Amino acid sequence: MIAEGAMQAGCKFFAGYPITPASGIYKSMLEFLQQQGDVAISAPDEISALAYCVGASMRGIKSMTATSGPGWALMIETVQYALMTETPVVVALVQRLGPSTGGATQGAQGDVLLTEFCTSGAYTIPVLCPSTPLECFELTMLAFAWAELLRTPVVLLTDKEVGMTTESVNYSELNTLIPVNRVQFSFANSLSENFHTYSFHNSSDVPPFAAVGEKWKVTATGSAHNKSGALKKNDAETLEVLHHLEEKIQYRKDDLVVVKNDVQKNAETLVLSYGITARTMREAISRARKQGKKVSSLNILSLFPIPEKEILAAAKTVTRIVIAEENFSGQYRSVLSSFIKNKEIIGVNKIGSMITPAEILKTIL
Amino acid sequence: MNTHHSPTTYLAENCSMPFCKGCGHTHAVRKLNEALTQANIRPQDLCIVSDIGCIGLVDALFDTIHTVHTTHGRSTAFATGIELADCVSADSKLKTVVFIGDGGAMIGLLHLVQAALLNVDVTVFLCNNFLFGMTGGQHSSFSPIEFITPTTPAGNFIPPLDICNVMLDAHAGFVARKLATDKDLTEVIAEAIAHPGFALVEIVELCTEHGTTRNELSGKTLQKILEQHGQQTGILKNRKERDEFGKIYSAKFPKKKKEKTESVSESIQFFYQHHLKEKIGILLAGSAGEKVQSAAGMFCESAIHAQLHCTQKNDNPVTQGSGFSLAEICLSPTEIFYTGIDDPDAVLVVSADGVRELQGKNIFASLPSSSVLFADETLELPETQAKIFRIPFRKLCKADKAASGALFAFLSATQIFSPDIFLQLLQKKSRSESDFFSQEFFEIAQRGRCFSEKYSEIK
Repeated sequence: MIAEGAMQAGCKFFAGYPITPASGIYKSMLEFLQQQGDVAISAPDEISALAYCVGASMRGIKSMTATSGPGWALMIETVQYALMTETPVVVALVQRLGPSTGGATQGAQGDVLLTEFCTSGAYTIPVLCPSTPLECFELTMLAFAWAELLRTPVVLLTDKEVGMTTESVNYSELNTLIPVNRVQFSFANSLSENFHTYSFHNSSDVPPFAAVGEKWKVTATGSAHNKSGALKKNDAETLEVLHHLEEKIQYRKDDLVVVKNDVQKNAETLVLSYGITARTMREAISRARKQGKKVSSLNILSLFPIPEKEILAAAKTVTRIVIAEENFSGQYRSVLSSFIKNKEIIGVNKIGSMITPAEILKTIL
Repeated sequence: MNTHHSPTTYLAENCSMPFCKGCGHTHAVRKLNEALTQANIRPQDLCIVSDIGCIGLVDALFDTIHTVHTTHGRSTAFATGIELADCVSADSKLKTVVFIGDGGAMIGLLHLVQAALLNVDVTVFLCNNFLFGMTGGQHSSFSPIEFITPTTPAGNFIPPLDICNVMLDAHAGFVARKLATDKDLTEVIAEAIAHPGFALVEIVELCTEHGTTRNELSGKTLQKILEQHGQQTGILKNRKERDEFGKIYSAKFPKKKKEKTESVSESIQFFYQHHLKEKIGILLAGSAGEKVQSAAGMFCESAIHAQLHCTQKNDNPVTQGSGFSLAEICLSPTEIFYTGIDDPDAVLVVSADGVRELQGKNIFASLPSSSVLFADETLELPETQAKIFRIPFRKLCKADKAASGALFAFLSATQIFSPDIFLQLLQKKSRSESDFFSQEFFEIAQRGRCFSEKYSEIK
């Protein structure tokens, strides 16, 4: 479903390296793209895979790769490079237990912080997290839309249980987005007579794009740079560019929100989860309500930027918040607890196998 | 590549070289500029991809050509991506040139090897000055024996990599090793750029800041050092043995107009009824290579025909072709949220590998009395409270149909949905005229009956 979403979004370039549980996406993209004569290529490692994608995107072609935690670890510098060069690219990260010798077929939700906080400088990397096949399709399309509109790398964070489970899917329920493309540079949207690779007026603007190999001379660089792309250190314009990389995302963060809430009036407890565990949460919620408990739930499909307002709104009336996720320390819980005040926060955490409905239910009853 | 009114230079006006006095990088840049000027390529059809280190300063010297300044050692990989997209999905006009040092070449060696194997139209200039200049002159994998640097104060004792040999082994069509001071360097660079496909020129240089100050090194001794290490100079290969990547790829996968995509999967018409009231979990266990997981897949497909929701997870050892094979199936009349099976409603086991795997998970002992267990009659089973059905699956269906047989027997006994739907699918996918199951098995499989609150009326 991720591959189908990518195709629907207009992806024309995929570079992959085999890793369970992401190899299914690699195989499907190879099939789909080669069928229509676009590039799907095997890279010799994950660093190459993402670098190929970034290069292709600089040439103006929508691109994607898919990997798991061990591959993501290798890609991190290139993710930073894509961020610094404002190059749109989508990475599907299917979580499992790592390293490469870890647990290839054991699900996990343990790469949440590694994904978000992989950049030097703590820039926001938008992270979308589906829990069902339909959401895989829809959020992949959305990941491309965000990457294109923001000119930044976007991660589709899923896991083995979502990525490798075969499920019945009702295609008539699919929501399709109109594919979104990056804004191309032209004189109409130009701020000066000359093209500057990273030009913006307000710090929150996204610079119009020009592809390497086309009419406008592109000066792309992963070094700290001014709006023209010239390597600089601490001058005012360069610092402005460094701020701009974050501000273009923060400025739009209210639009970068996907949550599914199921709020019950006068609920005492809010259960909050994401990915595969959000499905377990739904089952636990339904069992709890059958037992007469008043309980709300919130499935967070856009993990970053953190949908603070939506979380606080869902938590408004409750006294306790249960956060269920498949990692030891409660990675997402740790970033939420900084802004959730005066509520009891309980983590349901596990590693090595799925959290069960009974384990969540225990904290509600 | 299109020609146009020739620029007299591609270098920025009044550009002064940022390199140290006597540094080979200056020669390399000037000779590249000369070669480009002779080749008369439109600036917009050129892209310089630079690595980091001193050599990474080259991009800023060219103000009309596209430039991409990349991370350490990865320049060839980014260039490969640009070129792959250009030659297949764009107009294939772009000439991509990489500048990399000897440090970057080693950390990014696989990118060079892969670019050569792919034969992408990328030309690499590897400026080898035997050391890491920008970081303080540390030795590299290209340093000669006895080379003295801050990290080899007693002299280097590891032999240098012969990158040209590596490139030849990777089937590069153009490979050359030249000194930065060679009079014909411009011509060699021009030939490399004109080569249709991957080309690499190793340009051997002096680092006047770190190299010559610690070593007996001069323009005159460079050639000798290379000879001592058996490294030949000159054009080592210039032969087009195959088309560049884009041509081969486009011939193999021609462009097709995108048809309006319906759904990728076959559409399924719902014609059948089911008798399932709640979600159930089924474990199917057997041996690898005996079509356990594919039988489960067909079972799920037939369940969808009966308007059920289903999920299937497979498990097997890493070797995939030996040991156990396991499928976990959930069926439900409503959307399935939780895909795990904590208390299986049914366990179907058709081989000793399957029994061992389930026993390892302590499944048999934990089965409730409401659950059913379908097992091959030859298997030794641990103690369990489940209701047991013994059927000679392996004998009557043969090993590769035993799993299908077990699922068929389970369906016949429970009537969750019509076993005929499953049988029809098995028959269709087997592409065989003869009956999927023998008459004898058919009769035995249909004898069993079991009931549960979850899937049939309580009788």
